[in-house]
Amino acid sequence: MSAATAAAPAALDAPRSRRRRLVRNLDPLLLGSTAVLVAFGLLMVYSTTRSMPHPLAYTRSQMLHLMIGVGVGIVLVAADYRTLAAGWRWLYVANLLMLAAVLVIGRSSLGAQRWIPLGPLGQFQPSELAKLVLVITLAKHLADRPGPYRSVADLVPFLAHVAVPMVLIFRQPDLGTALVYGAIFAGMLFAGGARRRDLAALGAAACLVSPVLWHVLKEYQRRRLLVFLDPSLDPRGAGYGIIQSKIAVGSGLLWGKGLFAGTQNLLQFVPEHHTDFIFSVIGEELGFLGGLALLAVFLVWLWRGVRTAAVARDRFGALAAVGIVSMVAFHVFVNVGMTVGIMPITGIPLPFISYGGSALMTMLWATALLLNIGMRRQRILF
Amino acid sequence: MDHETFERRLVVLFTAVVALLAVLAVRLWQVQVVQGDYFARLADENRLRVTSVAAPRGLIIDRAGRPLVVNRPAFTVALMPTEMVRPDEEIPRVARLLSMDPADIRQRLAAGRERPFEPVRLRRDVPKDVIAAIEESRMDLPGVLIEIEPVRDYLYRELGAHMLGYLGEISDADLRRFRADGYEAGDLIGKAGVERVYDRYLRGRSGELQAEVDAMGRLSRTLRTIPAVPGDTLVLGIDLPMQQAAEAALGNRLGAVVAMDPQTGAVEAWVSHPAFDPDLFSTGIHARDWNALLHDPRQPLIDRAAQAGYPTGSVFKIVTATAALELGLVNAGTGFYDPGYYNLNGRIFHDNANEAFGHLSFLQAIAVSSNVVFWTIGRAVGPEHISEYAHLYGLGSRTGVDLPDEIAGVVPDPAWKRRVYHQPWYGGDTLNTAVGQGYVLVTPIQAARMVAAVANGGTLVTPHIAVEIRAPGGQVVERIAPPPAGHVPLGPQTLATLRAGLAAVVTRGTATSIQIPGLAVAGKTGTAESGHGKPYAWFVGYAPADDPKLVVVAMVEHAGYGAEFAAPIVQRVLEAAFGLTPAAQPGDPKP
Repeated sequence: MSAATAAAPAALDAPRSRRRRLVRNLDPLLLGSTAVLVAFGLLMVYSTTRSMPHPLAYTRSQMLHLMIGVGVGIVLVAADYRTLAAGWRWLYVANLLMLAAVLVIGRSSLGAQRWIPLGPLGQFQPSELAKLVLVITLAKHLADRPGPYRSVADLVPFLAHVAVPMVLIFRQPDLGTALVYGAIFAGMLFAGGARRRDLAALGAAACLVSPVLWHVLKEYQRRRLLVFLDPSLDPRGAGYGIIQSKIAVGSGLLWGKGLFAGTQNLLQFVPEHHTDFIFSVIGEELGFLGGLALLAVFLVWLWRGVRTAAVARDRFGALAAVGIVSMVAFHVFVNVGMTVGIMPITGIPLPFISYGGSALMTMLWATALLLNIGMRRQRILF
Repeated sequence: MDHETFERRLVVLFTAVVALLAVLAVRLWQVQVVQGDYFARLADENRLRVTSVAAPRGLIIDRAGRPLVVNRPAFTVALMPTEMVRPDEEIPRVARLLSMDPADIRQRLAAGRERPFEPVRLRRDVPKDVIAAIEESRMDLPGVLIEIEPVRDYLYRELGAHMLGYLGEISDADLRRFRADGYEAGDLIGKAGVERVYDRYLRGRSGELQAEVDAMGRLSRTLRTIPAVPGDTLVLGIDLPMQQAAEAALGNRLGAVVAMDPQTGAVEAWVSHPAFDPDLFSTGIHARDWNALLHDPRQPLIDRAAQAGYPTGSVFKIVTATAALELGLVNAGTGFYDPGYYNLNGRIFHDNANEAFGHLSFLQAIAVSSNVVFWTIGRAVGPEHISEYAHLYGLGSRTGVDLPDEIAGVVPDPAWKRRVYHQPWYGGDTLNTAVGQGYVLVTPIQAARMVAAVANGGTLVTPHIAVEIRAPGGQVVERIAPPPAGHVPLGPQTLATLRAGLAAVVTRGTATSIQIPGLAVAGKTGTAESGHGKPYAWFVGYAPADDPKLVVVAMVEHAGYGAEFAAPIVQRVLEAAFGLTPAAQPGDPKP
């Protein structure tokens, strides 16, 4: 696999037959699983917000973001993904500026500064999009320095690449997203050919640094981590979400209480049940089988993502696909794990499902990128 | 790095992804299937609130259905903590209106912080003018609620207070004893009188309101309402006009009046003075009021009709006479000579009035209450036989009246004196006992039952205040007719002599002053030395003399002669009972 430095002809300029071949190359399983996830997400957002004063407000907003996401996504699929790689340095700098801007002008909510107000369009959460930008730029960076990586020192440029935006996000503070960066970094470097022992050394170093980070954390973050170890430390405060979420999921039993019939949902026992804790409502209303089915759909999606990486025509595309898979897998695991008490509460949304426009659009565009990479796999060159 | 290595690493990566999802699936299985029932129960506990709805306590009515104790709606002022806008201004304001301490209100609010959407009770039974003041400044008092709750209402306040009883919060001891019957901490329970004895009928069954609430405790919807079942109505044998007459007749004096049906034992009037106001207890008695009652030297909490024993004086001659007649020592016509004193082995015993009745028959001796004659026959009967007949009349043991803490009184005999005082029995003890002095202690209800036995031919009835329990709808649940405690073996001659003697007391004996035109009354006076102060005045009687319908007993502490102070009370009760307007008082009563 070699880095594709020359700009390939853009799909839009391609002859009609080639365009048709590209469209035929769209991964139907990836498209289908994404559609299922998005549709299911809308349904669950409706279920969790329909008893609010404006029953359709959230669902409508989510739908609007879905349409924008799909519109921009179509452009992202149509344009050759390699054009994204060309300006990666600008992309990287723009990303940093955006994250820095959040710290300066961002809106505070729940003790964290994460949003940039966009007037009538609502607000935008740059750290969501920043995940995807990180995947693209890091993939390009790894493609440009293909190795072999013979020591930890060879990994330092990539570490720096990730560390700068990670620190900015950590400052917001957004521990969860910072950890997502770690997962993306680990997955991409592993796939990119870093030696296992070097990755292990970096992991060990991260463990050694974490006690220092403890002091940097805000009080509420520390409480969240402590109650993860023992929710009964603060059952009415920080531990409340974990306890109520577990009750919601557990009380769903095998078949669930039925869509729109979750009492923990309707009576608002689970905080943030339309955003980060949406899986607790899925577990409550649709039961073990519903949750299992959702995980199965995610598995299909992730499988198609890995498959895209395997067939990608170049190292950039392959590693970008790996980054996206790492990102989504980590989100799913931490988010669902949080609702059933095996992961601490870190504020990571459930991809495609949780209410939140920035996150939904980011995930749609990540899917677009996967489709793009998969569509332009080697075979079509012949 | 070649593509093969890359693909191998992709496999590792994908395996890791599958493993993570598998971990989630296993965890979901564990939470939803293995522990699912546990969490389902927790979810139900989250959303279900069961509040109890107080049952209205059963009414207490008299024999004719006249209400004596009811429930009145009372205003309770409560506070919804979350609805207060400026608590720092509002709390002192509410406190001032309710004459409470602001610190007390804050403490109550703090105790209710767990459920911010449930009102916190501040004060029960708030007077109407205070409610009006709160209503006026409603706009400035957001979150203040006025609720209506039933509160026990004793319509006639002190009337029959000891017999009716009062309520109080259940004690720890009672809670342990009655928990199985559904009593809970904080419940009100009868503490005295029929309120206590018939509590399980009167209390009803509290209802339940099962509701679904949201995370903030706000009501989402009502799932199930189990209505409270009101308590049963307790019908007393009490006759309100008679009770009122008895209360008025006793007046401010200390003592007791009991009226009873001699055939059934149903009590028709039950008075003990001084009394107390049971209403004081209905919303929780103030410590100040409680201490005043507890330390009042006149002991208003004691029921003098059943919880205190007194020497009866000459009333006891009924026992001595019965023993002498039954043992065949005397008959109605047996002649005696009363010189006004009695010589006991050289010790001279003088009659109270130092009156010498001279020659008289046994019947006359009863009528004029000659102590000398009864000393004489008392010696002949002997202390053991006196004690035996006293016990046959039910003295010395509880009557079993349906009121708490009745006492048994004392009937002395040589064995008793040896046991209690470690002293031998002297001849003087026999003389004292024969005329109801010395160690004899009898409760007014015991005296009433004894006279009832003479009136009804020997049946030792079991007195009872309540006669019937009715469901709130009016159907009879239970008739209260306790079986007699025993039978006094009175021969026809004995019975005739006793009745003639008691009738003669009123017609030509010590109590002629209480004759009622149109009603033949029989009875016996008693004037018992109390050892300090004036004697206890007694009168026990029944009417009509030839067909007894009612027994009335009056006892006045430290008053004087029974004929003077107790007999008129009985007279007035009988007048009320038989609907006879009181005739003009025929001069001063004779001592």
